[in-house]
Parts: sequence; C-alpha cells; structure tokens
Amino acid sequence: MRHPSVVNEGHQIQIAMSLIRLGARLQVLESETRLSRERLLRLYKEMVGKSPPKGMLPFSTDWFMTWQPNIHSSLFINIYHGLLKGSELDGIDAVIKAYELYLEHLSVHKLQRVLSVTRAWRLVKFFEARMLQTAPCTKCGGHFVVHTLDLYDRFVCGLCHVPSRAGKTRKPKLLVSSQTH
Amino acid sequence: MEANINGMLEEIREANLTYLMLAQNMIREDKSQAMYRLGVTEDVAGIIEALTPAQLVKVAGTNQLVCRFACNDEMVWGLLTSHTKDRELAGVHVAILRAAEFAEAA
Repeated sequence: MRHPSVVNEGHQIQIAMSLIRLGARLQVLESETRLSRERLLRLYKEMVGKSPPKGMLPFSTDWFMTWQPNIHSSLFINIYHGLLKGSELDGIDAVIKAYELYLEHLSVHKLQRVLSVTRAWRLVKFFEARMLQTAPCTKCGGHFVVHTLDLYDRFVCGLCHVPSRAGKTRKPKLLVSSQTH
Repeated sequence: MEANINGMLEEIREANLTYLMLAQNMIREDKSQAMYRLGVTEDVAGIIEALTPAQLVKVAGTNQLVCRFACNDEMVWGLLTSHTKDRELAGVHVAILRAAEFAEAA
C-alpha cells in the first residue's frame, strides 16, 4: 500500500472508529487497519479523551473455558460464524457486526458485558490459529467454545449442566442494578 | 363461520404485509444484520429487498402466513417457557442455539 487511496483510507478510519467506540485496545486497531500508530493514537485520544491503556493483551485461551466467559464467547462466536457464512461480511467487519449484535443481546436481557471487544477479537484469532474450536453439546445441540485437542464425544455444555456455584457472585449486582432503574 | 374465516384471512393478510414491510426495511437498513434477525439467506434477502409495493401486497394476499415459527425445536420452547430456570441463562442459551441454526441454514 504505497499509495493508499482516499476512499480506502476513509474505510480504514471507519473501522478504527467503530473499534474504538466498542472499547478496543490499540493493539487491535494496529493489527486490523493500515493506519500508522501515530494516527491511531491521535484518533484514540480524540474520541476517548485520554491515552490508551498500555500493557500486553490477554493471551490465554483458558479464560474462554471458565463458565461465564464460555457462555458469552460461545454466543459471540455463533453469531460471528453465522455472519461469515450467511452474509457477505468477513474479517474485521464481521467481528464488529457480530460484537454489536452480542451487545444488543446483553442490553435486551439486561446482562453485564463479560466479553470485551478485544477478547472477542482474540477469540477469533484463536479460532483462526486452530487453538480453539466449537463442539456440539450432546444434550441441547448448541455449539460451544472448547480447546481444539481434547475429546468431545460426550460433551455437555455449561448451560445444560450448570456448575453448583456458577453465577452466584453475579446475582447481587443484578439486583442492585434493577432497583436503581 | 363464514364471517369468522373472512376475518381470519384479513388478519393473515395484514400480518403478512406488516412482516414483509418490516423485513424489507430491516434489509435496506443493514443487510447482514437483517439476515441474522430474519434467519434468511442472502439470495432471499436480495429478493425481499427488491420487491415493489405492489408485489408486497400481492405476496401478502394469500390464505397462508409468509412467516413461520422460528423454532420447531422442543428444547428451545422448553427454555423459552420454563419458569424454573434462570431467565437470563435461558435467554443466552436460546440465543446460542438460534445463532447456530442461522449458521447452519446459511
């Protein structure tokens, strides 16, 4: 891209702005757009009003295996796969659209955001690198995020078989938020 | 009896027209998002998008509904109507199952 066209650059900025609006870290923007780091920094500061957080991105696949994150990740990745197969969207456009639909689900059901857009983007990268995949639950047939190399012939998802303590810490928070409304 | 059936046919036609117009608006607004919400393929979305008002009225005017229940699955209906389960969990569960259906149908 020696001579980037203005139209193309416009699209790049649009992508960057959507990602910043959804709360993405700078590393995501650097990886998904062709804009220079300086321009991205300026855009970020202009939109958010402060410098982006520093430090490494979360890199572990294990987070996606814990109970609540697994449910949210599975919802996101199902929407993402649906958009990839069903629509003309691909790449970062599909990630952005799937994430917006995920957020919409949360707001309709008054749930808290568990999966950040940076995590969602990592999740897609882990799928592309074949470190994670989905396995069908033998009870409900839904597809859930799992490690690639394990065996899943008798897999039961975290929603059909809810662990005894799962979600117990979340309840009080939800009650408080429903009282304030 | 006759009046009853005529009334029902009228209601079906109205439901069809409302549904088709909503679908068309959604597709024109944002095609890929509408495909997820409607559960239709890109080809079908393209056809609905291009329908003229006269065609919409024509398609709507039958004795059958153009939309049908999205889930024929007992599992999903169980989750939607269950009172014992955590409602938020059931909502996410249904969303995961239906998103997978969308991916498979496409």
